[in-house]
Amino acid sequence: MKELFPMKQIMGFVFSLMLTVVALAVYFLNMSFAMGMTILVVTAFIQAAVQLVVFMHAGETKDKGAIYTNVYYGVAIALVTIFGTLLTMIWGYN
Amino acid sequence: MKLDHSLPLEYRTEEGQLKILGFWIFLGAEIMLFGTLFASYFTLVDRVGSGPSGAEIFEITPVLIETLVLLTSSFTIGLGIHAMRLGRKKAMLSFFAITLLLGLAFLGVEIYEFVHYVHIGAGLQTSAFTAILLTTLGTHGLHVTFGLFWGLFILLQVKKRGLTPETANKSFIFSLYWHFLDVVWIFIFSFVYLKGMM
Amino acid sequence: MEFFERFAIPHPSAPIYASMVAIALTIVAIIAGLTYFKKWGYLWREWLTTVDHKRIGIMYLISALLMLFRGGVDALMMRAQLAVPDNKLLDAQHYNEVFTTHGVVMIIFMAMPFIMALMNFVVPLQIGARDVAFPRLNALSFWLFFMGAMLFNISFVVGGSPDAGWTSYFPLAGNEFSTSVGSNYYMIAIQIAGLGTLMTGINFITTIFKMRAPGMTLMKMPMFTWSALITNAIIVFAFPVLTVALAMGTMDRLFGTHFFTTNNGGMDMLWANLFWVWGHPEVYILILPAFGIYSEVISTFARRNLYGYKSMVVSMVLISFMSFLVWVHHFFTMGQGALTNSIFSITTMAIAVPTGIKIFNWLFTLYKGKIEITTPMLYALLFIPLFTIGGVTGVMLGMSAADYQYHNTMFLVAHFHMVIIPGVVFAMLAGLTYWWPKMFGFMLNERLGKLAAWVIGISTLVAFMPMFFSGLDGQARRMYTYSASTGFGPLNMISFVGAIGLAVGFAIIVYNVYYSVRYASRDIGADPWNARTLEWATHSPVPEYNFAIVPHVKSAEALWDAKKKRHILFQGDYEKIHMPNNSGVPFIMSSIFFVWGFAMIFSMWAVAIIATIGIFACMAHRSVEIDHGRYISVRKIEETETKLRGAK
Ligand code: HEM
Ligand SMILES: [Cu+2]
Repeated sequence: MKELFPMKQIMGFVFSLMLTVVALAVYFLNMSFAMGMTILVVTAFIQAAVQLVVFMHAGETKDKGAIYTNVYYGVAIALVTIFGTLLTMIWGYN
Repeated sequence: MKLDHSLPLEYRTEEGQLKILGFWIFLGAEIMLFGTLFASYFTLVDRVGSGPSGAEIFEITPVLIETLVLLTSSFTIGLGIHAMRLGRKKAMLSFFAITLLLGLAFLGVEIYEFVHYVHIGAGLQTSAFTAILLTTLGTHGLHVTFGLFWGLFILLQVKKRGLTPETANKSFIFSLYWHFLDVVWIFIFSFVYLKGMM
Repeated sequence: MEFFERFAIPHPSAPIYASMVAIALTIVAIIAGLTYFKKWGYLWREWLTTVDHKRIGIMYLISALLMLFRGGVDALMMRAQLAVPDNKLLDAQHYNEVFTTHGVVMIIFMAMPFIMALMNFVVPLQIGARDVAFPRLNALSFWLFFMGAMLFNISFVVGGSPDAGWTSYFPLAGNEFSTSVGSNYYMIAIQIAGLGTLMTGINFITTIFKMRAPGMTLMKMPMFTWSALITNAIIVFAFPVLTVALAMGTMDRLFGTHFFTTNNGGMDMLWANLFWVWGHPEVYILILPAFGIYSEVISTFARRNLYGYKSMVVSMVLISFMSFLVWVHHFFTMGQGALTNSIFSITTMAIAVPTGIKIFNWLFTLYKGKIEITTPMLYALLFIPLFTIGGVTGVMLGMSAADYQYHNTMFLVAHFHMVIIPGVVFAMLAGLTYWWPKMFGFMLNERLGKLAAWVIGISTLVAFMPMFFSGLDGQARRMYTYSASTGFGPLNMISFVGAIGLAVGFAIIVYNVYYSVRYASRDIGADPWNARTLEWATHSPVPEYNFAIVPHVKSAEALWDAKKKRHILFQGDYEKIHMPNNSGVPFIMSSIFFVWGFAMIFSMWAVAIIATIGIFACMAHRSVEIDHGRYISVRKIEETETKLRGAK
C-alpha cells in the first residue's frame, strides 16, 4: 500500500494546499492591492511549477529541452500578450 | 515495433514518445488560448455596464470547494500514473475513478455557480464583464467536461485491454491534460476570484 | 418557404446568379464525370482517405491554386472598378464584399495552404522521414482547412458574403451594421480552417524534433526545414489567439454577448487588438517558409553553401519571438497614448533587423557563386529588390507619428502587397517550379516559366508602385470609387494594367503546366537541378515510403556532400517498412464540421447540436479503435525500387 503513495507527490500536494492557503490571505486579511497581487502572482506561479515538475514529469526524458522551451515560450508570449494588451487598451490609453 | 525497455511503459514505442511530445506542444497552444482569455478578461473586468461587478457576485465557499476538489483530483491522477508505472492496474484504475468522480463534483459545483450567476442577473448577455467571465470559466469547464468523457474512455480501455504501451501512453497523456486543467484553475482562482474579491 | 428565405442573398446581381449557375453546373459535371469514368472508388481510396504527406501536400496545392483563381478574380474586379473615376461596375456593397473575400481568400485560403502544400511535401523528405509524426492528424488538418475554405466560398451564393474587410473590425462586423449572415461565415469558416492549421503546427514541430534521419542534428537541417519549424512554432502560439477572438466574435453575433459591442461595457477595440495579436505573427507565418524556399533555391543555383547558416537560424528564432511584440503597429491611430505607440514603433523597427540580416546572407551567397538562372532562381532574384521596397515602406509605416499619414491609405495597401507578392507568392511559385519534378516526375518548361516570372515581376511593380503615390496623395483604401477631380485616375489605370499583367503571368503558368504535361520528358532522374538536400536523393516521383533505406546524414547539405565528398547516404539492406493505414474518418469528421459550421451560420440549432454529437462520435471512435498500421514487405520494396530504376 505504501508504495502507492510516494513521498514526492504527497509533499507536492501538501505544498499546493499550503500555497492555496497563503493565497487566501488576500481574501481574509486586509492589504493593499499591490501587496495582494504580489502574493497571488508568487503563489500561482509556484503552484504551476509544482504541478509541472512533480506531477507532469516534464523533465524526465531526453525531450526535456523541447518541452521546457515550449512551455517557457508559451508562458512568455502569453505574458507579452496580456501585458501588451493592458498597455494598449487600458494603461496607455488616452 | 521497437521497444525500449529502459523507459516507462508509456514511452516504450516510438509512436508513444511522439504522442507525448506532441501533446506537450498542444499544451503550449492551450497556454496561449487561456492567456488570450485572461488578456481579454483583464481588459473587460471593469466594464460592467449596468450589470454587477465581480465583487458583487463572487462567493468564496463554492470557489474554495472547487479549488480543493480539483487540486485533490490532480493529486489522485498523479498517484494513478505512479501506480501505473508500478504495474498496479487495479490501484491505477481506482485512482483514475476517484479523479473522475472529483472532476464530476467540480463540474457540479461549477454548474451550480453558473445557475446562480444567471439567477442573480449576471448572464452571458448582461455585460462585457459577465460575458468574458462566463466564457473564461466556461472554456475551462468545457475542458473538464471533455476530460471526463475522455478519461472514462481510457479507464474502460485499460480495464479491458490491460496495461499495454498504448493504453499506458493514453493514460499518461490524459494525466498531462488533467494536471494542466488544474494549473489553469489555479490562475482562475487567483486572478479571477481572489483578485475580484480582494 | 420561410425556412428557405434565410439562404437568399441580400444583395443580388446578375454576375452572382451567373456564378450560382456555374457552380451548380460544375458540381453536376464533376459528379457525372466521376460516375461515368467510375472514379469514385479511386477518389475515395487514393485521395479522400489518404494519410500520405505527399498526397496531402498535393491536395493542399490544388486547393491553393483554386483559391488563387478565386482571389484573383476578386482582385481583377476591384482594379477594374477603380480603373476610372466614378465607375459603376460594382456598387459600394459589392465592392465591400469583394475586397473582404479577396483578403480572406488570399491570406487564409491561398497563401496558408500553399505553404502547407510545400511543407507537407518537402519537410519529411528533407529530414529523411517516412511521413509526419501523426499522419492521420495531418489528413484531418487538411480536410478541416478544405471544409473551412469551401464554407467560406459558398457565402456569396448562399446567404451573402462577409463585407467588413478581411480584418472584420467591430462594431462594423457586429449585428448592428452587418445584418446578413456574411460575417457569421467569416467567424465560423476561419475557425474551422484555423483548427486544422493549429494541428498542422503541432504535427510538424513534433515531426521535425523527433523524426530526423540519424546524424541530422538541428544545426544540420536544411534551411527550409528550419523555416518550417519556426513557422509552425509561431502557428502554435498565434492561432489560439485567433480561435478565441473568433469565438468571441461568434458569440457577439449569434448569442448577443457584449464583447465587442459599443454598449453594456463592450469594447470594439479589443477585437482589433486580438486580431492583430494573431495577425502580425501570421504575416511571419507566411513569409518565413518563403525565406526558407529562397534559401534552398539560392544556394542550389549559386552552387554554394548558404552563407551564414547560423545567423539565418538565429535571425529566424528572433523573428519568431519578436513577431509577437509588434502588433499594435496596425492600429497606431486608435487612440493609445504616445508612450504605447513609441514602444511598438521601436519593436517594429527592430524586427526589420533580423529580416535585413537574411537579405544580406542571400546576397553574400550569390556573391562569388556560379549563378545559374533557372525559373526558381529568377523568382529569387526578382524577390530581393522588390521585397526590399515592401520592407522599407514597412519601416516607414512603423513610425507611429508618420503612420497617421499613411494609415488606411493606398500606401499601406502598396506596402503589404509589395511584401506579400514578391515575398510569399514568388516564393510559392519558385518552390512549385523547383519541387514540381519531385512531385510529378517531369519538369515545367523553363522558357515559359521564365517568361511568366518576368511578366509577373514587372506587373507587380506596375500594379503596386502607383499605389504608393496615390496613397500619399490621399487615396483611401477600401473606397469603391472616387471623382475625377481627385486626380487619382491615371495612377489607378496604371494599376489596372498591372493587374491584367499579373493575370496574364498566371495564365502563362497554367499554359506551362498544360504544355509540360504534354511534352516534357519523363526521363529526368532523381536530381534534375543538381541540388543539395535529401529530397533529391530519392526517386521522382517519390515512392510511398519515401526512402527504401533511411539515410545517414553527416552535413547540412547531405546530398551535395554525398555527391562531392562521397559521403554514403544509404547503408544496409532493405527492411520491412511500417506505414500507417488510410482512414476515412478525417474526411467524414471534417464533413460533419462543414455541416456544423453551416448550421451555426444560419442559427439552425438542432442541426448544429446533431453535428456536434457527430464530431464527438468521430473522436470517440478514434479513441477506442485499434490500428497498428501495416508493413511493406522487403519483396515489395525491391520490386518498387527496381521499377523506379532502383539506385540504392
Ligand atoms: C520589414 C518588416 C515589416 C514592417 C516594418 C512592417 C510594418 C507594417 C506596418 C506598420 C503596418 C500597418 C500600417 C498601417 O495600417 O497604417 C503594416 C501592414 C501590413 N503588413 Fe507589414 N511590415 C513588415 C513586413 C511585412 C511582411 C513580411 C508582410 C507579409 C508577408 C506584411 C504584411 C502586412 C499586411 C498584410 C499589412 C496590412 C494589413 C491590413 O491593414 O489590412 N508586412 N506593416
Ligand atoms: Cu504587422
